[in-house]
Amino acid sequence: MNAMSSRKFIMFGLAPALLIYGLFVFVPVVWSAYYGFFNWSGFGDKQYIGLANYTEIIHDSTFWRSLKNNIIFVLAAVFGQVPIALALAVILHKNTWMQRFLRSAIFLPMVMSTVVIGMVWQYIYHPQIGILNFLLDAVGLSAWKLNWLSDSGIAIYSLIPPLIWSFVGLYLIIFSSALQNIPGEIHDAAELDGAIGWRRLAYISLPMIWTTVQVAIVLCISGSLKSFDLVYIMTRGGPAHATELLATYMYNSTFTSYRYGYGSAISTMIVLISLVLIGTSQWLTSRKSRSQ
Amino acid sequence: MSGLLGRSKPIIFWTILMVYGIFTLYPFFWLIVSAFKTNEDFYSHPFGLPAQWNMANFSRAWETAKLDTAFANSLIVSIGSLVLTLFIGALASFILSRFQFRLKAAVFAFFVVGMLIPIHSTLVPLFILMKQISLLNTYWALILPYTAFALPTAIFVLSAYLMSFPREIEEASFIDGTGLWGLFFRIILPMSLPALSTVTILSFLHAWNDFSFALVFISKTSLKTLPLSIANFSDGYQTDYGLTLAAMVLSVLPTIILYLVFQEQVMKGMTAGAVKG
Repeated sequence: MNAMSSRKFIMFGLAPALLIYGLFVFVPVVWSAYYGFFNWSGFGDKQYIGLANYTEIIHDSTFWRSLKNNIIFVLAAVFGQVPIALALAVILHKNTWMQRFLRSAIFLPMVMSTVVIGMVWQYIYHPQIGILNFLLDAVGLSAWKLNWLSDSGIAIYSLIPPLIWSFVGLYLIIFSSALQNIPGEIHDAAELDGAIGWRRLAYISLPMIWTTVQVAIVLCISGSLKSFDLVYIMTRGGPAHATELLATYMYNSTFTSYRYGYGSAISTMIVLISLVLIGTSQWLTSRKSRSQ
Repeated sequence: MSGLLGRSKPIIFWTILMVYGIFTLYPFFWLIVSAFKTNEDFYSHPFGLPAQWNMANFSRAWETAKLDTAFANSLIVSIGSLVLTLFIGALASFILSRFQFRLKAAVFAFFVVGMLIPIHSTLVPLFILMKQISLLNTYWALILPYTAFALPTAIFVLSAYLMSFPREIEEASFIDGTGLWGLFFRIILPMSLPALSTVTILSFLHAWNDFSFALVFISKTSLKTLPLSIANFSDGYQTDYGLTLAAMVLSVLPTIILYLVFQEQVMKGMTAGAVKG
């Protein structure tokens, strides 16, 4: 092939991808950092206010509460989803119909829209008609009945079961396929050396799938920072910001309070925070794997 | 495996599993069964089966929630962004994996970074951009961002797959006199079918289930997608439980049926790229 035509092909072929991706993913990220320097209601003139939005964020208790809630989500995902999924993957290792059925069932929420998942759990938690409170009544634990989503002290924790429920299947399948990729000879050799049961898991299986665990942790972190839909549907970030996440706070600041500049500044913080968290997790987990 | 579970404790394991299985499936069971109930039935027997299997909820929900429009809109934006993602993504991956040029590594890194950008951080600037170029309340307001956010994963998955093809493919096709486009359409695309189907599942489900972009970019009733319509509908018909639940069941039925048919493929496809051996 001649060099000229292939150069044209390269430019022409990459152009649409670069254009769409650049315009709708990359430019907005840069722009939100820029809009963050303005006081703007979304209509009319923008007023340049320098770093005022960013310094306001630093002193904004709701922002810190959102970040704390996001971190609760990250921790619930990393220390809830990952171990549960890992345990399930180890237990559901075989391909009997029962194990296949359970794997498929646990994965099912992954193909459903978060809107429906959020609404179903809203019903489960409903103080009057919710089955959770009915269940507590039925087993004689009426005293434990709560306003699961409208009690500001517990609302954020009420969101954790639906979070785990909807994503654990993803990690289960990731870990299952990683475990299946371990060559059988390694297990045979380990068995000869007396490494069976939990010892085999700790010394053979887990180290061999450690890269996958690292990937799962990154997915957990970025996934938790992306959880907007579930919280928006179930609580709108309320009551009184008790379940506010960075994304819902950004949404509420922008589209409920009409503070576009402030919302943009929060958007920029979300990008920065997610890069920092992912970087830190990579550093921590790779240190751990080196020491093993 | 028998070593792992031990021979004495399988009952405990299976009990835990059954409890977990029930925990997983009960919300689905409850959703589907309750959708058949009347309001009184719903209040008085929250756990039980419906006193009467009330089919009318479904037809009423279909009409009241205008689900036909919502389905059509969801199909248009999902298939639109899917076609764009597959074509544009495959073309870019073909170039990134089979050609040598300056800045290649930089272009690849540029795309892959996109997988780490939280979607919602772009909502505000994208809303402003869409407003300025008058795309708010059009199908393009969803098709273009869905495509843009699907591209990083698509390029990641497809390039990895294309990388494994032997060099001789190009040589053989040039000797046969096929041009670059011919090579792409007649050889590369058909050979990448497994990777393309992974990308299809990922991008389709993402577009079909997305809520946040639709929430911000679409306010016109006639353009609302399924998740958005369902969310709005439940706000309006909060106390008609059977009706709302029936609308929810109808809206998730297509993806659940597709999942039951293509299970293995869906599960593998969704997790592609996460397992590195």
